[in-house]
Amino acid sequence: MNKGENLWQTALQQLNETAKRINLEPWIHKKLRKSKRELTVSIPVKMDNGSVEVFTGYRVQHNITRGPAKGGIRYSPEVTLDEVKALAMLMTWKCAVVNLPYGGAKGAVVCNPLKMSAGELERVTRRYTSEIISIIGPEKDIPAPDISTDSQTMAWIMDTYSIDKGYSVPGVVTGKPIAIGGSEGRSKSTGRGVVYTLLNTLKHLNLDIEGKKVIVQGYGKVGSVVVDLLSKEGCKIIGVSEIDGGIHNPNGLNVGKLWKHKKREGSVAKFKEADSITNKGLLQLKCDILIPAACENQITKDNASRIRAKIIVEAANGPTTPEADKILKEKGAFVVPDILANTGGVTVSYFEWVQGLQSYFWTEREVNLKLRDIMTKAFYKVWEISLKEEISMREAAYTLAVNRVAEATRIRGLYP
Amino acid sequence: MLKKIECIIQPQKLDKIKEAFGKLGAEGITVSEVRGCGLQRGYKEKSLSSRPIRLLPKVKIEIITEEERVEKMVESIRSLAETGQIGAGKIFVLPVEDALRVRTKETGRRAIE
Repeated sequence: MNKGENLWQTALQQLNETAKRINLEPWIHKKLRKSKRELTVSIPVKMDNGSVEVFTGYRVQHNITRGPAKGGIRYSPEVTLDEVKALAMLMTWKCAVVNLPYGGAKGAVVCNPLKMSAGELERVTRRYTSEIISIIGPEKDIPAPDISTDSQTMAWIMDTYSIDKGYSVPGVVTGKPIAIGGSEGRSKSTGRGVVYTLLNTLKHLNLDIEGKKVIVQGYGKVGSVVVDLLSKEGCKIIGVSEIDGGIHNPNGLNVGKLWKHKKREGSVAKFKEADSITNKGLLQLKCDILIPAACENQITKDNASRIRAKIIVEAANGPTTPEADKILKEKGAFVVPDILANTGGVTVSYFEWVQGLQSYFWTEREVNLKLRDIMTKAFYKVWEISLKEEISMREAAYTLAVNRVAEATRIRGLYP
Repeated sequence: MLKKIECIIQPQKLDKIKEAFGKLGAEGITVSEVRGCGLQRGYKEKSLSSRPIRLLPKVKIEIITEEERVEKMVESIRSLAETGQIGAGKIFVLPVEDALRVRTKETGRRAIE
């Protein structure tokens, strides 16, 4: 089974287990097992050398019962329709956990952005936008950045869509540059949300943040923000890693110097005031809190039993496989699931969309306070369900999410 | 937007905060002696709910300032008010709809600067 199929099977399994747990009506279960729409498009693009390449693109809308579809667009040479379907379903649950009035979507273009020029990427983005233009829009489906796409990509999508309509439509995408309607605080929002979730976790477990030893896997858009904010909260960051290796200092890293090192060298590896360690080794170090903030499938049945952290907060999407999740549960580790912990990004995306629709913009402080409020409410809800039904935080988050979507489906009924 | 920072602190911490007044960047400060209690109901040990609550003497400080200065000011006051023990106090931030300087009739930000 390839990665995409695997992700899709896992997503279905999560839904099936939840459906059983909450006694979901079969018709709603059947409906949620399928995407609302799966669009595959060809994207012919003139390359810099004069030849023409035809790329494949996808946009999948899993569910739009609670509102317009929302989800990122990724550029990757390995991405498949199954992967996009799985991630679209995951977006439905994420939006429902934090109670945003959205359904879930995801998009992708099969291409290798590392081997493409800025011009080629712009042409791919614009043609892809044009091919999916009939199903996106501020009231239909609102894309956002994901792997290998950024605020510039969003600006191109916004421009292409706006040219087609004949007027500016900032609300068609989120994660835009601030100059064209992006939100203050958007770029740090996922990391900030992870930190709020961790603070709520510690509060509920009756633990203090001060002096906690933390390991963060990944030092990108999310990990670097988490490291910075947690060190300000009084944590000791004892290990950080990136794709090319990690660093470890049991006495705590100087995060200010680490940031400068990363800016200068492009990676955290070879930071002088720490020992080198492999990505694998990093996960197994002794620490209080482990935050996987890189990619999926990092904690598997092969290493789960060697994880020593008591609290794991999933900043990445799907860092723990279902088998590993069971092992961690038996060990008594407290796992805060991705669909709760990393929803800060989509929440501030929602704020950006709201601000765009109103054409009235908020200060960063306002954005952050509203983010904290939404993430805290979601945490309390999930925690309550987890206590009441004696299930894990992941199961509780799925219970909450699927129940919310199911309730909306039930109330709307089936057409015709 | 104008905000009000309302702090309830231990009386003995007032002098330090008063001294730091200039550094805090506050344009004005109002202090009152108040009494109150929090979760502990005025006791050092976890109190039994049958005991009457004790209202302990505290000091309330009120400062009006611009939103962009709130975060720094709150952190400065927090570190000055810290005692390392329970009952050190709380800080609240409230929205202020408007302000008016009596003598000049200046309003909003101009009224406090």
